[in-house]
Amino acid sequence: MSGSQGMHSPVAQFEIKPLIELSFGGYDLSFTNSSLFMMLAIGVSAAFLISAMRRGELVPGRMQGLAEMMYEFVAEMVRSNVGHEGRPYFPFIFTLFVFLLFGNMLGLIPYSYTFTSQIVVTFAMAAFVFVGVTLIALFKHGLHFFSFFVPAGAPKVLIPFLIVIEVISYFVRPVSLSVRLFANMLAGHTMLKVFAGLAVMISGAGGLAMAGSLLPFVALIGLTGLEVLVAALQAYVFTILTCMYLNDALHLH
Amino acid sequence: MKPMKTCQHAGLLIAGLAMPMSAQAAGAGLPQLDISTWPSQLFWLVVLFTAGYTLMAKFVTPRIGSVLEERRAKLDEDLGKARSASEDAARIRAEYEADLDAARTAAAETAKQAAAEAAKQAEASDAKIAKKLAEKVAKAEAKLATARSEAMANLNNVAAEAAMAAVAQLANIQTTAAQAGKTADKLATQMAKQESN
Repeated sequence: MSGSQGMHSPVAQFEIKPLIELSFGGYDLSFTNSSLFMMLAIGVSAAFLISAMRRGELVPGRMQGLAEMMYEFVAEMVRSNVGHEGRPYFPFIFTLFVFLLFGNMLGLIPYSYTFTSQIVVTFAMAAFVFVGVTLIALFKHGLHFFSFFVPAGAPKVLIPFLIVIEVISYFVRPVSLSVRLFANMLAGHTMLKVFAGLAVMISGAGGLAMAGSLLPFVALIGLTGLEVLVAALQAYVFTILTCMYLNDALHLH
Repeated sequence: MKPMKTCQHAGLLIAGLAMPMSAQAAGAGLPQLDISTWPSQLFWLVVLFTAGYTLMAKFVTPRIGSVLEERRAKLDEDLGKARSASEDAARIRAEYEADLDAARTAAAETAKQAAAEAAKQAEASDAKIAKKLAEKVAKAEAKLATARSEAMANLNNVAAEAAMAAVAQLANIQTTAAQAGKTADKLATQMAKQESN
């Protein structure tokens, strides 16, 4: 943990700070600021979804409507990308979407922590999805699964070359899936911090410079709006790609 | 499209690999690359995601699913009720119209029957009257015929008597009344035959 960069480093916001020290078998398993916001993402989303649905009215109110909308959104995603066979995996996909959405959104609150900006977290999730869909495909199709790497209707001479490309592209999936989310969060939050730091720095000069600080401040407001969009979009992208990989696993080509 | 996607993936892979290297080269680098924090992050990710999955799979999704299913069922039920009510209305209307048609045809039938009955009665009474008239005519004719034949018979006797008298006067031949009658009868029959021929 290197806090040596000081308060003004735009990447200092990503530092992991232990809140409750904990270690097991020589590993540091402390409950950290990242863990706290993971817990909040789960806690807030579950509390919202459960309390919104508590009355389960026939004609939904605002909160219930929102909860149902989230459910229908993910259900429709699974239905249109995976089809009927995707039903057993719906709770997982839903949890994934809600976890990422709330994690990204809560991370936008000042002084909070964005656990999806941690490559180890996004990669672990992507790797879990990758291993999971590969196992599902192997269980469902057996050795026939390997036909997935042979593109249909390709010229015979190109087939060895294409197989290499397909295999690489398959194994790159968890990397692209995790890096996409991680990089978006990292870049977005760094940019917000840079603009915020700029505004503070300029205003600190006092006098006429105070007016000059309005520029990065206004930009910051716009960027915050953009980051809200990115937060929702990246949760959606991660989830829909998971659906597509699952579809590939269940139906091959 | 596939190779393009692959290129994109490969680019991201290179970026993903290059980032830690460049960061390490830079020294202090990103807090994300501080491996010492990874076990804790992974541990809590597994624990909390599992907890979240359990909550979502056991409570949240079944609850929302059941509420939505209930609503769908209720809507279907109401729609079904409305549909059956409209079907009932259509059926009742059809029944009513069928009844009306049946009544109309029954009335027409009754009218036709009554007309036919009346015609038959009229015919029957006509026939009765005609029969009575014919009987009367026949009776009268019979009476007439008997009267005529009696008259004819009497005429024969008269003719025979006259002929007898004439014969007795002219030829002085005495004939019995019976003979005269026979001859007259014979002549009368002959004449009648000739007449009828």
